Amino acid sequence: MSDHDVPSAHAHGPITRVGEIRDHDDHEHGGHGGHGDHDSHASHGGIGKYLLVFVALCGLTTMSFLTYSPYWPWRDQPHVGWAFMMAVSCTKALLVVLFFMHVFWEANWKYVLTIPAAMMAIFLALMLVPDVGMRNRMVSQERALHMARGSDVRLMEQAAEAKVLTEPEAH
Amino acid sequence: MNASAISIPHDHDGHSAGHDDGHGHHGPVLQYQPGLPLSRGKLIMWLFLSTEIMFFAALLGSYVVLRFGAPVWPKPHHVHLSEPIGAFNTFVLICSSVTIVLALEFARANKSSIAKFWILLTLLLGILFLGVKGYEYQAKFAHGIFPQSPRSRIYEKPDLYYGSAVRARLGEPAIIDKLKELDDTPADQLSAEQIAARGRLQQIRKMVASPEQQAFDLAVVADQVMPLPTEGPGGSHDGGHGGHATGLNDIFPWLRLPAVIPGGNMWASTYFLLTGFHAVHVLVGLIVFTILMFYKLGPKQAGKIENAGLYWHFVDLVWIFLFPLLYLF
Repeated sequence: MSDHDVPSAHAHGPITRVGEIRDHDDHEHGGHGGHGDHDSHASHGGIGKYLLVFVALCGLTTMSFLTYSPYWPWRDQPHVGWAFMMAVSCTKALLVVLFFMHVFWEANWKYVLTIPAAMMAIFLALMLVPDVGMRNRMVSQERALHMARGSDVRLMEQAAEAKVLTEPEAH
Repeated sequence: MNASAISIPHDHDGHSAGHDDGHGHHGPVLQYQPGLPLSRGKLIMWLFLSTEIMFFAALLGSYVVLRFGAPVWPKPHHVHLSEPIGAFNTFVLICSSVTIVLALEFARANKSSIAKFWILLTLLLGILFLGVKGYEYQAKFAHGIFPQSPRSRIYEKPDLYYGSAVRARLGEPAIIDKLKELDDTPADQLSAEQIAARGRLQQIRKMVASPEQQAFDLAVVADQVMPLPTEGPGGSHDGGHGGHATGLNDIFPWLRLPAVIPGGNMWASTYFLLTGFHAVHVLVGLIVFTILMFYKLGPKQAGKIENAGLYWHFVDLVWIFLFPLLYLF
């Protein structure tokens, strides 16, 4: 399907762009054509590369799980763990999108679809901050009275420690 | 199908524009690519995925904003979340992402039965994910954590409202009968744990009904009904429970007393919404894979597998963010 246009595509000025796209197309479907001259398929994906990405993803998952383990050194500073986990998640997401979803090998349309959506995502969350994120900065006294607080957690922990109840039969 | 958008116009040239009048004059012009260099199915899938990015971004963004704006948010073990189970599910989804990619590779190489094997494996991994998710949901439900009352038995703080809810539950005719039955049961028919728990239950029944009740008493009641586990990664599994590791609700499942998890209601709403929508996406993916199983998965179907794979990777992507946000934050 490809042989007869390629020379003409290179002969005419503007059509070289088509040639580029065709190249890309052959990248995409290089496997089925059976053309011996296209080794581009090996560079696009290839099972070895997928397995490498898989190993990286597993390693990164283990890394984010590390924050849960007792060996995590910044246990008293949760923000360090959060930033670390988000960095790990973004790396994982990038690996999945670039390699498993083949975005690494796609043409420029990928930016048209992903960047506006990603910006929308970020702005949407930011727009929520004043009214939702800061909703408890100014609340009525009554509402504050019924709101759960960190002190309630401490109260229950104290209750667990206090041994108020007698345990007559529990030897 | 495997012909991407670029080759469609070529077929088109050959047939509709004709060989004789179009060739010399229009021929090279018609080779311009009129659309994006990808098949229509894939284009639509990507458009759909870009709406999905916004859909989940809205959910995740709301979660993050609600969570960090809340005066108190439950720790994962307060709400009986198990980090290892979540990590296991992450691993399952990552594996399924690899298997679907391999299915696509083998379909393109015209190894239909191998491709089918990988699709089947993806399907099984997806089912495993949903199974684990269902098990996790069951653990929440068993502790009275539902997104909404009347099923939800979660109270925000051990205050007077909580005390009256416990009193109301203990005053229900069915519970009165059960409590009487429990009190009359001879000690030799109960385990040591049940005997001790029965003693504590009798005391908190007096406490919630007592006219000289102190605020701290209700915290004691809440702690007895369902303690906030101090289980942490440090391995201090049953330290600081004041001698009891499980609550009365666990020992007597019929009791179903209201429990206190500060911030637990908002947590439940966001958790079930996020994981629920994600689970629905997984379910849709499983339906797609089931349909794919009926095809001969050669190069002709590679486009279908690719689109299904794109969707599945996106589902994996969402979980990559959900797992740390829900389980580890």
